Amino acid sequence: MIPENFIQSNLQGISFIGPELILTLAILLILLVGVLLPYWRHRILFTILAVAGLAGSVLPLWKLPQPAPDLTYLSNLFVWDWLTFLSKPFFAVVGVLTILLTQVTGEIDNSEYSECTILVLAVTMGMMLLVASTDLLMIYLAFETMGILSYLLVGIRARDERSGEAALKYVLYGAFTSGTMLFGFSLLFGLAGSTDLLAISQKVAFASQHPQDRLLLIVAILFFLAGLLFKTASFPFHFWCPDVYEGAPTPITAFLSVGPKAAGFVLFIRLFYPLFATGHDATIYEAVSGLDWPSILALVSAITMTLGNLAAIHQNNLKRLLAYSSIAHAGYLLMGIVSLSDLGLRSVVFYLVVYLFMNVGAFAVVAMVASAGGSEEIDSYRGLGARAPYVCVAMAIFLFSLIGLPPFAGFVGKVYLFAAVIYKKIYWLAVVAALNTVISLYYYLRIVKAMFLEKPTETIQIQVPLSSRVLLLALLVPTLGLGIYWQPLARVVSGMF
Amino acid sequence: MLPDHLLSWMIFFPLLGAGLILFVPKRYPTVMKGIALAATIPPLWWAANLYVQFDRWGTGFQYVEKVPWIRAFNIHYYLGIDGISVPMVLLTALLSFICIIASWNINEHVRGYFALFLLLDTSMKGVFCALDFFMFYVFWELMLLPMYFLIGIWGGPRKEYAAIKFFLFTLVGSVLMLVVMLVFYFGSVEPATGLHSFDLTILADQSVHQAFLRSHTIRWLCYLGLFIGFAIKIPLVPFHTWLPDAHVEAPTAISVILAGILLKMGTYGILRISYPLLPDMAREFALFAATLGLISIIYGALCAMAQTDLKKLIAYSSISHMGFVMLGMSVFSNTTAINGAVLQMFNHGTVTAMLFLLVGVIYDRAHIRDIDSFGGLAKTMPVYAGYTGLAFFAALGLPGLSSFISEALVLVGSFQQYKIITITATTGIILTAAYFLWTMQRVFLGPQNKKWADLPEISLREAFTLTPLALIVVLLGFYPMPVLDLIGATLKHTVAMVVG
Amino acid sequence: MQPILDGLTLSPWEPGLFSLAIYGLMVLGLVSLLLFFASWLGEKKSNPEKLRPYESGIIPTGSARLRYPVPFFLVAIFFLIFDVEAAYIFSWAISYDSLGWAGWLQISFFIFVLLLGLLYIWKKGGLEWGPTSKQD
Repeated sequence: MIPENFIQSNLQGISFIGPELILTLAILLILLVGVLLPYWRHRILFTILAVAGLAGSVLPLWKLPQPAPDLTYLSNLFVWDWLTFLSKPFFAVVGVLTILLTQVTGEIDNSEYSECTILVLAVTMGMMLLVASTDLLMIYLAFETMGILSYLLVGIRARDERSGEAALKYVLYGAFTSGTMLFGFSLLFGLAGSTDLLAISQKVAFASQHPQDRLLLIVAILFFLAGLLFKTASFPFHFWCPDVYEGAPTPITAFLSVGPKAAGFVLFIRLFYPLFATGHDATIYEAVSGLDWPSILALVSAITMTLGNLAAIHQNNLKRLLAYSSIAHAGYLLMGIVSLSDLGLRSVVFYLVVYLFMNVGAFAVVAMVASAGGSEEIDSYRGLGARAPYVCVAMAIFLFSLIGLPPFAGFVGKVYLFAAVIYKKIYWLAVVAALNTVISLYYYLRIVKAMFLEKPTETIQIQVPLSSRVLLLALLVPTLGLGIYWQPLARVVSGMF
Repeated sequence: MLPDHLLSWMIFFPLLGAGLILFVPKRYPTVMKGIALAATIPPLWWAANLYVQFDRWGTGFQYVEKVPWIRAFNIHYYLGIDGISVPMVLLTALLSFICIIASWNINEHVRGYFALFLLLDTSMKGVFCALDFFMFYVFWELMLLPMYFLIGIWGGPRKEYAAIKFFLFTLVGSVLMLVVMLVFYFGSVEPATGLHSFDLTILADQSVHQAFLRSHTIRWLCYLGLFIGFAIKIPLVPFHTWLPDAHVEAPTAISVILAGILLKMGTYGILRISYPLLPDMAREFALFAATLGLISIIYGALCAMAQTDLKKLIAYSSISHMGFVMLGMSVFSNTTAINGAVLQMFNHGTVTAMLFLLVGVIYDRAHIRDIDSFGGLAKTMPVYAGYTGLAFFAALGLPGLSSFISEALVLVGSFQQYKIITITATTGIILTAAYFLWTMQRVFLGPQNKKWADLPEISLREAFTLTPLALIVVLLGFYPMPVLDLIGATLKHTVAMVVG
Repeated sequence: MQPILDGLTLSPWEPGLFSLAIYGLMVLGLVSLLLFFASWLGEKKSNPEKLRPYESGIIPTGSARLRYPVPFFLVAIFFLIFDVEAAYIFSWAISYDSLGWAGWLQISFFIFVLLLGLLYIWKKGGLEWGPTSKQD
């Protein structure tokens, strides 16, 4: 199945993976420098190299032709549509923020720093490949590039037991779920005789008419869900999330909570919409008849958000709390997938962008407080508002944005997601999500309460360096700005689908 | 001399002040207070001008400003006022000004307090002026943030509990409103452009509602969602439990704002959103709403009678008084009751503000609010006793003071539609009289408690905050037309719309 | 009605998911039956002698939880990686003529990266052998 827009020449096609190639070069350069120079002196050097690599990786994007929904390249492995085009800068920003966060917090030892930057860059490259893939094999390859390297990232603090435990848990869960997903892929390949999504989608529409094949498709969908729900940390594959988030170095936690999660949601869009939904020209899609996956996902979404929020209430470790909150947010994001409409897809992308800033912001504050002499426990936030007002006000803004209160960007994101399900008239899910917002308010406010309403129990001074403040400011500006005027971003996401 | 875009200036001027306060060095708290005061004076002046210039005979919206804000969702920056908004805006501007003065003795975290207060001021005015559902919602929610901190940081001993309870309760209502808002957005199509719309004036036109928004179940559920949202704010009785806690723990000025303005937002929201958007459901829910109003009147009064904490007593009396507003608003057979209800909104705003300010005065001196521990205060603080007497009599509905007229209008009007409910509601007035007089007796009369014999008399600053309110209470008691004039035409239009 | 699926027909009576499921269930049933009977019918009289690990009649000494010397593991991993990479080079070598200079450039880059990897593990002390290995 070769679409008309297929770019025949592979040499020409290579220019489309320019970002990935530049990232590869940056990785090799850092590796070389890390080996040849006495690395403990050059932390800032690695940071500069990595950030330059990430920034450079998005530059070739604007030299390339206008994206189109069916413009494929490199033997049909990748597609050059707006989702690909805009995901790459997104992941580059995720990478840059992570690198800067590791730089300013110093949570990762100098001896492991060059490896850390290399791995962040490599995971970013994996995510960039993943969002562009339209071939089951390529998808799996990119998925595992992203996955295996992120297991390494979690365990980067080799001598820290919690880090090791987290990495092991992540590996075991990850191996199991991605294997299951691969089995699902093989079922589809068996049905269609091709790994190309476009070719498969035509067989799927056909096969779903026949009860026996429909069973196979249902099994395949369930197996896909194992991999995807694992990456997005959704019920019932969320158990790894709190432990991994707690054990990993905080900047890496921030990275995992936005990077692979976003990649997982993009993969949802890539896999489920072409394969198991019809009506690509209309603004509303229908699930392929007989395969009622939106209902399953709606249920998963409701359970995920409720479970995440309820479990977060009793957490005293901020990283665990934010981990459960991230589970809850996966539930919210699934609403956009469930709604099976362009509005739903837009809402997912919009929310991911917003979530990037506010969630990395929250984790950034956790990392900064921990590295400035506090800890990750909520106790060390008691009365912090008076001692470190700037950081605490920033934290409060990120948390309010995570709750979804105006005038912060999280509110707009939530409005998008709510709008998506209400547009499809799934009112019960909207009401469940609305009530979940109220539950989430309680535990986010516990932090705010500790910071501003309570008296300090300890008197250590929290000194936050200027570089951290600047980074926080860079995260605050979009969190506030997109809450007040989000028309530019709305236009971008409207153009995507 | 008024600026263009008067409403925008009025709404956002306090915010400018808040921004300025953030840059004042920490060692000049008085400068911060001065800036805060200066930021509330021009809005008060503009509100007064608005009051004078407002065209009393027009039923449409005046001072309209409409600019596209987010084209992707067809959201407009849409402001405008009608007869219901003007008294509320005036009340907000006045109480904000007074509360800044009343907060002069705040000495902890001065910068935060006044910046948040001004943010609160902005959001409150925004709620009363917004004509776009989305904007309304943004301002409505924006109000929660400063309120949470103002109660939580500067409040009393159980401030944390009170603050989170207030936040959680109100948010439940808000998110339901958000869902309903989006249902309306997708359920209506603006005829001129073919787009969905958040414009309240367009949504009020029943012909733009799509088929699924015409279904009775959807409409019923939508009305219920909105009603719960607003009823939590008013608050009507099953949703009221946040109020006593919040009022008791909040600092004086914030109690004043809570009781004086925030509660009115609930009833204002019903008038501005529920009635125009779902008039048929308004009729269907009228009896239910009136019954809840009645329960609030009686239950609030009985609870107030049992209190020993002065602030809690006033909090429960607020529930009782807001019950009258709800009762009056549920009457559609005549316009008397609903006029009374809106007048009651204004009057309760002034009277209850006085009451909370007065409690603040005594609390600042004695640091307790226990009714039984005082006694014979009239001898110690005669001027204070005079002010309190005026406020108490106004609150219990003594003829010649403002609340009497509004409550009488409500009862006269509602008697035509709900005989039994109205008759039962009158016992509420008796109960109100009972607990206020009893409190008066326990605090001011009887043998003088020696412990409090040397409490200083009310200060000039405190008197300055009370006097304008007292004047309004007396003036409107004799001559309510300044407000009734303003609201009459709009309310007639509202009732006509609901009756259909 | 005949399902038409390009010769990939899956009917209930051909080997397919259905029969696989039946087969799986049967296996599961048999295994659980055996396990159940074994534990139900078997006699259980334990004494310390019986619980001792069986090591061909020799009485065990020390703990069974020995740590592997890590260098073996490392070497195994390095071998795996470089051996697999060598397979790529073989495949290039076979079609050397048809790939031309472009292919040569690609494999050069590939070998360069490989060398970089070797350099990395060398500098990191991965090739050090024995207890004197450099710790960083």
